[in-house]
Amino acid sequence: MQMNRRSFVTAVGAGITLSATSKWALAQGTGPIRIGALNPVTGAGSPYGSGMQKMILAAADAVNAAGGVAGRQIQIFAEDDQTNPQAGVLAAKKLIEVNKVQAILGTWASGVTLAVLPLCKAANIPILHTSGAPDLSDLKVTGGWGYRFHTPNGRTGRCYAEMCKKEGFKRVATMAFNNASGLGLTEVFAKAWKEMGNEIVEKVVYEPNQTSYRSELMKVLAAKPDAIVTGSYYADSTILMREWFQTGQKTRWVIPGHATTPEFIKAVGSVAEGVLTADLVVAKESPSYAPFDEAYRKQMGQSGDSNIYAAMTWDMLIALALAIEAAGSVNTTEVNKSIRVVANPPGATVHVFADGKKKLKEGKIDYYGCSSVLNFDDNGDITPDFGVYKIESGALARQYTLRI
Amino acid sequence: MYYIQLALNGLSQGLVVGLAALGITLVFGIARFANASAGDGLTFGAYLALVGQRITDSLLLGVGFSIIVSALANVLSYKLVFKKLAGRSSVALLVGSIGLGFLVRGALGVVFGHQQEVFNVQLVAPYRIGELAISILDLQMASVAALALAATFGTLYFTSIGRQMRAVADNLELARVCGIHPERVMIALWSLVGAVTAVAGLILGIKTVVSPEAGWEMLLPAFAAAILGGIGSPVGAVLAGLLLGVAQEVSTPFVGFSYKIALSFVVILFVLLVRPSGLLGRIEGVR
Repeated sequence: MQMNRRSFVTAVGAGITLSATSKWALAQGTGPIRIGALNPVTGAGSPYGSGMQKMILAAADAVNAAGGVAGRQIQIFAEDDQTNPQAGVLAAKKLIEVNKVQAILGTWASGVTLAVLPLCKAANIPILHTSGAPDLSDLKVTGGWGYRFHTPNGRTGRCYAEMCKKEGFKRVATMAFNNASGLGLTEVFAKAWKEMGNEIVEKVVYEPNQTSYRSELMKVLAAKPDAIVTGSYYADSTILMREWFQTGQKTRWVIPGHATTPEFIKAVGSVAEGVLTADLVVAKESPSYAPFDEAYRKQMGQSGDSNIYAAMTWDMLIALALAIEAAGSVNTTEVNKSIRVVANPPGATVHVFADGKKKLKEGKIDYYGCSSVLNFDDNGDITPDFGVYKIESGALARQYTLRI
Repeated sequence: MYYIQLALNGLSQGLVVGLAALGITLVFGIARFANASAGDGLTFGAYLALVGQRITDSLLLGVGFSIIVSALANVLSYKLVFKKLAGRSSVALLVGSIGLGFLVRGALGVVFGHQQEVFNVQLVAPYRIGELAISILDLQMASVAALALAATFGTLYFTSIGRQMRAVADNLELARVCGIHPERVMIALWSLVGAVTAVAGLILGIKTVVSPEAGWEMLLPAFAAAILGGIGSPVGAVLAGLLLGVAQEVSTPFVGFSYKIALSFVVILFVLLVRPSGLLGRIEGVR
């Protein structure tokens, strides 16, 4: 009996190992190249998440239509991180351990990226994200596997401080959504603002999913600020603005670009007039914009410049595909090295995958994305420009561009 | 004065929680399970009111539409889910309600998308009484809530079906022996719960924004209020919701805005230690 059970267990064990190895061999060998799309389809990132995910799928279609990479097709495994670190980690584990993906693209919230990054590092696969947390520039944290298609919060904070100075604000208060991104944003702003010799007259940290933020607003407004700088998302910004208007007290608002979506402006209506915001801008003048815009219109029914993060995820897949093509293998260490090779100068400028694939045969290339020029420094960060906007007659009106 | 203002803010927040808790406690008292789909019921009510407002171009008609359709939908959920599970353990019913909640949330996400929606209401400056600012929107919402409460308690305490419902809550077997038809009581219960939940949901939606997850986030505070009020006690649930709202807001000068949520659970802990039956509950409860 004992022997029987043992041999049974051994046989099952051997079977499992065998099937696992053969699957692994398939993943490494000739099957499609597996890429994970981990995006905030629900939760605070939901205004962008669907578009982000659909653009990864659309970019993969474009790559496959151009004959795939390294002689193979790309297969996308799509998951929703729910803009929530716990859900993000569960989904990432599934992508890495079950789907055996070779890269994870498009985490959005800093909390999610920070939680998922250690898994990617341990599995030796790159993670391409759009988060702002300063820690994500730290090689000790990323191990060289992280690529930020957005800009670190520190730069965003300095940008807000410049904007407040230009507007002539003196008394500024901050309100932060209680998470890594919200707190980080207001803290780096406060630092930059104090370095300019100014003071923060009041600061409030608020919790998500409250039925009202009136008490929070009361505290901030009691300090009579010229302006309130928020580290917020669009749903809570909507509630804040609507409740603020009902207090009847005058002040100005500086709200992050990811929160001032068309839905936000529509929801808040005339109350939103005069709100200042800054965000990275889609490179509409770049030839890489047209194919992205076409795909975005087809999938989402809106123009491509309405979702900068979708432009980033489009670029992620194209850049990654070019890197795999350049590496000529799916070995993730090789691919990781060649991301900078295809994205940074020197090399022939390319804007679309098919062109890049062709030019790679002749020599080095430098991919220009539709979200930014995409030159990664040693920390995996890029230096895009900020567009500064004011909400005027129900739309974002471009004021000026800041390079920080 | 600052504290009175905070208390007022708390009252307006507590209303939503209290109404949601009322729905939960009614189900618990009469159908005898913890209804985890109550949160998604709120969301459903809010979306119904949005749809109603868009069709009729009137918020008032939207509210009516939401109450009626939500009541019907709740009866349908009873017929399709909870009736089938009647007689099973309360865990089966709980799991059934969790499943129903997922279904509703998912369906709302598919139909309306995950973008936020807002009610088109006029935003106006508040009434000022001395230093106190009273939001007009809050006053309107409070009167809607008061009407809903009056209708609910009127039904429970002054009508025959209300007496029957309370009889079933008290003792199912005895009620049956006395010739009370359980099916009729259940249909009345679920319509009432649907209406109350819809009102709570649409107030939540009007005060904040509507998204498929909005109501789900309210489930925990609503359960907390139902427990604090004495599970099964309708008046207790509403009082507890208001009390929790006020306690949270008045505590903010001392504990800050992040820990006010924890405070409501400290209150519950304290109450349950001192008075395990809740504010207005009875210790024996369901036998």
